[in-house]
Amino acid sequence: MEELMEILEDLRPDVDFEEEKALIDGGILDSFDIISLIAELNEAFDIEIKPSELVPKNFNSAEAIWALVDRLQNE
Amino acid sequence: MSYTTIAFFIFVAVTVLAYYLFPVKKYKWTVLLAASYVFYFFTGFRYAFFILFTTISTWGAALMAERISRVSADCLKTHKKEWSREERKAHKKRTQRKMKLVLAAALVANLGILVFLKYYNFLAGGLNDLLGLAGLEFSAPLMKLFLPLGISFYTFQSMGYMIDVYRGNVEAEKNPLKFALFIAFFPQIIQGPIGSWEQLAHQLFTPHSPEFKRIQYGLELILWGYFKKLVIADRAVTAIQAVTADYTQYNGTAIGFTVLLYALQLYADFSAGIDISRGIAGMMGIDMADNFRRPYFSRSINEYWRRWHITLGAWMKNYLFYPLAMSPLFLNAGKRMKKSRLGQTSFGAHVAKVLPTSIASLIVFLMVGIWHGANGKYIAFGLWNGLIIMMSILLKPVFDKMTGLLRINRESGVYRTFQMVRTFIIVLIGYVFDIAPDFAGAMDMMRRTVTDAGLSVGMNQVLNTCGLLKADYLVLLAGMLIMLFVSVIQEKRSIDSIGGLFEGKPFILQWCAVFCCIMSIIVFGIYGPGYNPADFVYMQF
Repeated sequence: MEELMEILEDLRPDVDFEEEKALIDGGILDSFDIISLIAELNEAFDIEIKPSELVPKNFNSAEAIWALVDRLQNE
Repeated sequence: MSYTTIAFFIFVAVTVLAYYLFPVKKYKWTVLLAASYVFYFFTGFRYAFFILFTTISTWGAALMAERISRVSADCLKTHKKEWSREERKAHKKRTQRKMKLVLAAALVANLGILVFLKYYNFLAGGLNDLLGLAGLEFSAPLMKLFLPLGISFYTFQSMGYMIDVYRGNVEAEKNPLKFALFIAFFPQIIQGPIGSWEQLAHQLFTPHSPEFKRIQYGLELILWGYFKKLVIADRAVTAIQAVTADYTQYNGTAIGFTVLLYALQLYADFSAGIDISRGIAGMMGIDMADNFRRPYFSRSINEYWRRWHITLGAWMKNYLFYPLAMSPLFLNAGKRMKKSRLGQTSFGAHVAKVLPTSIASLIVFLMVGIWHGANGKYIAFGLWNGLIIMMSILLKPVFDKMTGLLRINRESGVYRTFQMVRTFIIVLIGYVFDIAPDFAGAMDMMRRTVTDAGLSVGMNQVLNTCGLLKADYLVLLAGMLIMLFVSVIQEKRSIDSIGGLFEGKPFILQWCAVFCCIMSIIVFGIYGPGYNPADFVYMQF
């Protein structure tokens, strides 16, 4: 989770990822942010996020993103 | 059956009544299905084969893809203990391949029809030019092809559903009639919005009971749509058609004025059609996705495309941009650039991060351009928008530095206004491609606005040779100011619906507004015998 927080804060230093729960629904992360984030996650956690995973519930908060990473690592 | 005919009003009234009076709640959706097919047959019965083909083929393919996935999951479950990790992986791969085949067949068949009917002559013409240049005698025959009503919209909607099922994000619909309603729902068939299964389908099949507020909001939205269509758009279109029929007869000022008028007409027309559609659906308790959020207030082209034709943008993002930008080709390109010498500098690291995604975005805009029509000018339109976005993202650190050095407060009113005006000018340049006869014509029109801009000559041409009287321009000005006023209030109070503007306001104010709107349409609307109403701009897409 720490590594994820580092990636997120590096991506958008202006966002409070510990508090924010509507990263997608609130329009905080745009499509370019999402792609940059996916590239970082794929590399850092050795996973492959597919377009089918791109639903708001997987990216709305740091916890949701971590749950996605965790699930893909265990698949 | 056009939106601006008495027959359509009667059709809508009968449909709404039949929907609410239908005795078997569970099957209320069948009224919508019957009405949708009546509408389609009356509007363009000779095209019915195409919509039926798309409906049946997509319905069947989605079920097949889901079945493959289910059988595979059951098989995995059964052999969970005896199969190694590699065997499970290989099994998943085989399943994926089978599902991909089904998806590809559905996409090729349905998008193939769209591409053939919409672009065959354009492609054949291009091929013939190439063959001619190569000195070959063979030439592809040109054909007289027609476009089925709403083909782009229903094809995109059905392919979005197919991809969602393939991705496992929605369940395939077993009932072919329910699926047929999702594709042919009559308020969306003429010009969208392009609905997603997740957002729209359950609303279509859930029985709704009449609610005063919903019906009132729906009627108000319809009324607002007719005001924009009949008072503004169909009046402005006369002058636009006069100038674009032979723009060489007009000077730069008249051409520039026409582009401005087109910005007004296009927004009034397209958003009116969507308002009428959403109002009709709303009266029956169905919230269709919105397609506009006051786009001309955008502060960047990127934002403009998030507020203009929202459902097309969302479709392109979900089904084209993400798969492209997330493909190994694009992700690996970013990785390689990051590791290169260029990627070690701060600007280089930024370029490495955003360039592949920007290229994916440019490809998407190229497709948006091509979607608008089979003509080189639309390719230029797409590239213009895509390149502006690409440059704005690539050069973001430079712009950030500049605004820092110049000590510009980005949130100040002046800077925000500057951004809106700048964005609007970029949008207007894109519109020149839209109204020009072709790419060369667009370039010539732009040249004229700079080199031949005699103000008095231009205004004289606008007032005397465009088919509109001074009184018409005054009505257009008044209409535009009303639209602007409403938009400013909506923007300030973050209210998207028209009915919501009167929430908490005195009853009398609301009815005064409704009365004025009706009177404006009756007195200033373009309709009646002898008048051939203009089709909605996005009809036949």
